Amino acid sequence: MDAKPTHRPLVLVVDADARSASLLARLLYTDGYDTEVTTDGAAAVARLTRNPVPDAIVTDFHLAHADGLAVARYARSRGPLMLVFVVTGHPNALSSAAGPLDEPLHVLTKPLDYPDLLARLVAALGAPSRA
Amino acid sequence: MVETRFDELKRYVRFGADDARALLAFRAVAEPHFVRIAREFYERIREHEEAHAVFTGEEQIERLQRSMVRWMGRVLSGTYDEAYFEETRKIGRVHVRVGLPQRYMFTAMALMRVSLEDVAEKEAGAAAKVVRTALTRILDLELAMMLESYREDLAEQARRRDEFEAQSLRSDLARTLLLHEAALDASPSLIVGIDPRGMIRLFNRAAQTITGYALEDVFGAPFVELLVADAARPKDAALVASLLAGTLTQLADESLLKTRSGKVRDVRWSFTRTDDGGPEDIVLFANGEDVTDTRAASRQAHQHEKLAALGTLAAGLAHEIRNPLNGAQLHVAFLRRALEKKLPEPELLEAAGVVGDEIKRLARLVSEFLDFARPSALTNKRVVVQALVTRTLELTGPLAAQAGIVIVADVPPQELVIVADGGKLEQVLLNVVQNAIDALSPGGSGRIVVRVRRHPRDVVVEIEDDGPGLPSPNAPVFDAFFSTKPTGTGLGLAITHRIVTDHGGTVGVESRPGRTCFRFTLPIGNESAALEGESA
Ligand code: HEM
Repeated sequence: MDAKPTHRPLVLVVDADARSASLLARLLYTDGYDTEVTTDGAAAVARLTRNPVPDAIVTDFHLAHADGLAVARYARSRGPLMLVFVVTGHPNALSSAAGPLDEPLHVLTKPLDYPDLLARLVAALGAPSRA
Repeated sequence: MVETRFDELKRYVRFGADDARALLAFRAVAEPHFVRIAREFYERIREHEEAHAVFTGEEQIERLQRSMVRWMGRVLSGTYDEAYFEETRKIGRVHVRVGLPQRYMFTAMALMRVSLEDVAEKEAGAAAKVVRTALTRILDLELAMMLESYREDLAEQARRRDEFEAQSLRSDLARTLLLHEAALDASPSLIVGIDPRGMIRLFNRAAQTITGYALEDVFGAPFVELLVADAARPKDAALVASLLAGTLTQLADESLLKTRSGKVRDVRWSFTRTDDGGPEDIVLFANGEDVTDTRAASRQAHQHEKLAALGTLAAGLAHEIRNPLNGAQLHVAFLRRALEKKLPEPELLEAAGVVGDEIKRLARLVSEFLDFARPSALTNKRVVVQALVTRTLELTGPLAAQAGIVIVADVPPQELVIVADGGKLEQVLLNVVQNAIDALSPGGSGRIVVRVRRHPRDVVVEIEDDGPGLPSPNAPVFDAFFSTKPTGTGLGLAITHRIVTDHGGTVGVESRPGRTCFRFTLPIGNESAALEGESA
């Protein structure tokens, strides 16, 4: 048996499109991440009030009840170093809505480039051990 | 033997055989400088609006530069006889004909004098002083003779005015019109009176200003031949004939006016046929409105409206398209992953790859479209136009060379500085040059010229190729999604158009088989005013 403790960071996936959300979660899972999925902003914020605090969030910008920026802001209040990716089809609108306090904000343009997202997660959180 | 005017002038400035010899000897060392001097001479003219206005196009300017080189050779030819004198007067008459204001003749000659004396100083060695004296004398003679043509022209004008007044008094109708002359001249419209044979008998001040002709120039001249540009002439000739014949009495007509210097303007004419009179009475009034500028402005406004609507659409559409693309892309990633594990067949993997690439292509199209419809604001800085051209050629040259295409730059020697967004202008140049390369590539050879010229208020950039040309000369190439290329998005030229008009410039294209020329202008503007916002 491997002596190393298993290292599986937790990623919260937030997307109004439930199918895309669960597919992304599945891909992340096979690549060594634990995942949770919510499909609206309010539910995401509610999830963030509980422990364990996720290591990273991948959230859509357009969401019901609270948008991706609001989710990102709340996430920061829980863990100032939390890695937050906001995915949007309209990056200009997002950058004009974001303020200096939202930095560092990782904006990803749709369609999401999965290999690129994975590389960034690995760079920030270290390589997970596969399931 | 009677002394000719030329001999008399020569005697006056003490121009003699020594001068002639000195000039001829000087020619040998001066000749290598002619082309440069001619070029500098016309570069200077470009900075002066009224002088520049007599030009009709770049071809003419090039012809003129050659004429100047020949003229310098003539001035230093060593032979100054009656034939020489006649030739000089002929050159003078050319300038009267093109409507060059007389004062420019003086300043232009001063410029030539400085340039040639400069060469004498550097190249004529010990003879410099003698050469300079001879130059002063011959150039004074040249100027005196050219101005003679202007004087003759004035005399001719006076003669025609007399004739005009004599004729006016003979006709009742014209006499009445004379009483209304002040009113006619106050009108901003062109008002032209035409006699039964189609000759001009009345020509108000607006008509004179807009066409560049004086009343004496046009009086008794045929309306259609003189004032209608070639493209509209057959149509207008027929219309005016019907009006004169009386088969039509009222008519509105959009036409093209040809000015004295050969420029073309859009004019909306309204013709009114009056009752018949004598052979020199006015029977037809043409009332014209110069709509060139309003046309251009409304075309511009129309384009802007379209763009604003597109901007709104684009933002919504981008969102709507990117969402499903997102889902599709994730599914493709998932499929690939599953295939790699369970069915590692290259064909299947490749198929999934193709789908992924197509999704990326669509995504790029959406991004380009947003670029076009919602462009970022201009960041203006000082830009040297020649540097932009050099960079464009560096970037496109190697690819063009591979396709057997030669690209050359034809730019003025003096640095041209404008205030603009250099990055965006580079995008424009690259785009248009790339289009030219794409048009020529199938033929496996060709030539592209990137030409830059300074005009009094603008910089004009032309990208000319000798390819097959556009499918139709009126193809809406600047409209979004118009494309002649199988893989084009149809947005390149639309973005080009947008960038140039955002700079306050204009864009146009002329095309026929064998020559396609994209031309855009950029205002030179006021450098310090334009950059004020930047330091703040
Ligand atoms: C020292 C003063 C100048 C000299 C010696 C000169 C010389 C000449 C010569 C030799 C020609 C050719 C004539 C021919 O076709 O027989 C010409 C034509 C012409 N020049 Fe000048 N020029 C002078 C000043 C100017 C200036 C200041 C302008 C102003 C813009 C000008 C505009 C023209 C134009 C428009 C033509 C027209 C001819 C065409 O369409 O071919 N010239 N000049």
